Amino acid sequence: MSQGKEDFRMQEIHTPSAFEGALWAACGVKDAITVFHSPPGCYINQHVNMLVNDWTVDLYSTNLSYANVMQGAEEKLEDVMRKVISKNPAAVIVVTAPSVEVTQDDVEGVANKVGFKDTVIIRPPIGGSVNDGKDETFLKLLDIMEPVKQKLPNSVNIIGPTYSTFNWMADVCELKRMLEGVGVTVNTVMTAGTTVEEIKRAPKASLNLCIYPYDCGIKTAKEMEKRFGIPYLDDIIPIGFENSSLWLEKIVGLLKVSDSSFVKEEMQSAIEFAKSNMFFTVTFEMTAALSFDNNNTYAVGISEFYKKEAGTEIVMCSVSSEAAAERVSAVCDEVLLNGTIEQKRDKFISTAPMAIFGNFYDKKISMDEGFKNFIFADIPTIGYLGTENCPFMGFRGAKYLVQCLVNEVYMGIFLETKGEMEGKISGGVVPWDIKAEQAMMKISEMIPHFVRSTAMKKLHQVSEQMAVDNGTNVTIEIVQEVSDKFTPTKFKAKFSEVFDDVGPQVPAEEDEDEEVPIESLVFNMEWENAAKNMLEMVPSPFRKVAVENTENYAKEHSSEKVTAAVFEAFRKELGM
Amino acid sequence: MSLKSYEHCCSTIQALASLGKIEGVIPLLHGPQPCLYQNQVGSMSCRPAQLLTAGTLINKSNVIFGGEESLKQQVHNIYKKYKPKVIVIINTCVPQLIGEDVEGVIIELEDEIPDLTVVTCKSGFNYPRSMPLGSDTSWAALVGGFKEKEKVPGSVGLIGRTGQDAGNMAPIDIPLKKAGIKTFLFPAPHIDEMEKIVSADSLYSIHITNQLTSNRIKEKFGTETRFIEIPVGLEGTSNFLRGVADREKNQKLHDIVDAEEKRVRPEFDRIKASFKGKGYKMLLVTGPANEVSIGKIMAELGMEIFVVPSMKNQLYKQEKKIMEDRYGVTFIEEDFELLGDLIEEINPDFISCEFQAQVETVKKFVPTIINMMYLCDYGYDYAIDLGTNFLKTIKQPVYEKWQGFVSRYGG
Repeated sequence: MSQGKEDFRMQEIHTPSAFEGALWAACGVKDAITVFHSPPGCYINQHVNMLVNDWTVDLYSTNLSYANVMQGAEEKLEDVMRKVISKNPAAVIVVTAPSVEVTQDDVEGVANKVGFKDTVIIRPPIGGSVNDGKDETFLKLLDIMEPVKQKLPNSVNIIGPTYSTFNWMADVCELKRMLEGVGVTVNTVMTAGTTVEEIKRAPKASLNLCIYPYDCGIKTAKEMEKRFGIPYLDDIIPIGFENSSLWLEKIVGLLKVSDSSFVKEEMQSAIEFAKSNMFFTVTFEMTAALSFDNNNTYAVGISEFYKKEAGTEIVMCSVSSEAAAERVSAVCDEVLLNGTIEQKRDKFISTAPMAIFGNFYDKKISMDEGFKNFIFADIPTIGYLGTENCPFMGFRGAKYLVQCLVNEVYMGIFLETKGEMEGKISGGVVPWDIKAEQAMMKISEMIPHFVRSTAMKKLHQVSEQMAVDNGTNVTIEIVQEVSDKFTPTKFKAKFSEVFDDVGPQVPAEEDEDEEVPIESLVFNMEWENAAKNMLEMVPSPFRKVAVENTENYAKEHSSEKVTAAVFEAFRKELGM
Repeated sequence: MSLKSYEHCCSTIQALASLGKIEGVIPLLHGPQPCLYQNQVGSMSCRPAQLLTAGTLINKSNVIFGGEESLKQQVHNIYKKYKPKVIVIINTCVPQLIGEDVEGVIIELEDEIPDLTVVTCKSGFNYPRSMPLGSDTSWAALVGGFKEKEKVPGSVGLIGRTGQDAGNMAPIDIPLKKAGIKTFLFPAPHIDEMEKIVSADSLYSIHITNQLTSNRIKEKFGTETRFIEIPVGLEGTSNFLRGVADREKNQKLHDIVDAEEKRVRPEFDRIKASFKGKGYKMLLVTGPANEVSIGKIMAELGMEIFVVPSMKNQLYKQEKKIMEDRYGVTFIEEDFELLGDLIEEINPDFISCEFQAQVETVKKFVPTIINMMYLCDYGYDYAIDLGTNFLKTIKQPVYEKWQGFVSRYGG
């Protein structure tokens, strides 16, 4: 084990392995029967986990017991294979489980004995990645392909989509539409939603398209080039308008398809779209965090599209491959490679994105931290219904990426910056201290233009109301409290800089040097001793305010008491 | 021989989910990455908080050279980060297979971290035919770490099903409390509360899943657990409570049951009348043992019930006899290849099963409920609610609409 006492990492558990990859790729072949040679627990987990992402995928199992594994499970496998073969499947795919890999059952021997022609055995490596498992399945499927002398002109294979690849169905649908638009037909998809007959005829294609080049498929494309003489395209990710058109144009060039007007029409439509009121007006003001630990290709494609064509800043991106990390670094300053969930949480807070793209865990931590705008874009999901709609790839994918970002964020932020439906517009005529005005001015500069005016009205109104309630001017303390309490979380970290610039909340002069011992402070909530001790880090004059603000923070986050963790979280949110 | 397993989940998830609902306990999954990933994702929906799981991620070199050092290190890591009272090492298939010396690691840890209790349970293919026992084995492990406490005279302990029973035993707990009986509930959301079960003067099991736990309590603390029947529906709940009343010699509990029966019987009669003559058949396939308890409720309400049980232990056998004698329930204990075959044979109007089985029921749009969503089944009122709203909940007209589409368009 690589981790030491000081490096306690748990997030690897939340990353799928080669066994998942192999099964997701195998089960995508619709008319084959996949048998998981495994104990029943492994089978149930794998099957149910696939069903939360894909519609009605079926999977069979040998249901091994401890005794079966210890004494050799070949007989059990033989029985199950014979039973499934009696159901006339187009092929049988056997995927072995980790326990079978430990005992090294003679699975190939059983398959030979049973003698069913189209049997594919996949033995994922223990310790392999999800993409290793997918590649292993793709490569093994080459063995049932039928070599041909004559290629089908204008015909391509798409390599890469598997079950449990986020959004595969929508992406494949859109890419097929685009290819048909330029007169190219899709011969085979490896493997999601395909048939055994389509797999067998894959060598007929004139070109292979690796649509997830930062994840899987390239090994298979190389092997198909060697075995069947099919060239492949892996250097353009069809995400974004420009890359979608470049991708199609390159395919048209490689296949020597007669020129069509499709790309021009699609780009004209994209140009019309870009003229939309709600496109640049909003996207130029946006910041997004992309957490794509299980889809490096999305990370590369989407970050480049948002940055270069939509003007959206990618403030943070999390990936799991070095190659993807290096490429994303060109458009994003904060790239995490195999980051832990805690590291991602810290980055979300410090970079304060207006929208977060990610998986279930990202959604959970963004909710915990008060980020309201979230777009599901990766696995695991626990449950996600995908269809042909809402692709991320292709021309329609580019439109959807803009559409979902604008619609998710615009109205959300707009409403967050409003007061109550029937609330007061103004609390009366209230004087402002200069420092408070300066702070408010700086805060306004940090709010996106499309909501700046309305957000500032709310902040003004709440500050003045608080001053009226206190019987004072609007002071910088009030502005700080208001900006803490009444603005979306994503802005709070930035606002803390304002109060550094304007100057700290200076207590009255006579108090400046006065020592404020922790035991003299008034606590209105229960504080853990560890949290109280952390107040030592706060300069004496600010301890009273620190207590007040920390308690407010604790209440906002539904904590019944102030713990060291609460104190630390608040400190981080303030960017300290 | 079945070509699938129709059970609720891997026994590792059951263990993880049950332990993950107890404050003060941190489960540590000892297994390879696919096992850990699947069990983590699978248990997420069951866990109220502390959603991240610690694991050892056994790799190839651990398989060859042993993973004990990694395991020990990870226990230290967890203790340092969370300071739990108990760490339960869930020993999954691969470490069992390679013969990891988990108990030896625990002995070393006792010296290294004296304030911590570390126990272990074996899950995975240790329970290949009864996944709910993952919960039972994890609890038995916890009980192994409990300390002796003084018994509270006249008190009653109720031992429930899996983790979801924490906070779900009120329908049985309340009448006992009203009768002046001091109760201890197991499970509970905090380890200190759970540990109090050893103070109970008498123990009653309220479901069929906890035989290992009961045995361990008896071995270690000498208290025998009695199983009367699962307290669901009218007859089941009343019989259970009266059984306790008789043994505890508590007339007040009998009086409470009389009053409750008077309150709920008209409702039960109304529901039975609404089902009468309809000839409804329901097939319940291996859930987290609720195929038995929900089956019992629906049988009492007048449906013809077929149950594929998730376990065949002594408690199940006792409950099975009650359900056969009282309601004529059919138990299907022999193997079948696929659920689709059973559906052909029985032709049920309704099915209760898990997701991997639903793939087969949905082909024919047979009205289906998912077992794991029907887990709060104790007492009178749950049965009334379930019976009253069953047809509304299952939305048969929607299924009929889709069956119509299939006849018209194929598919």
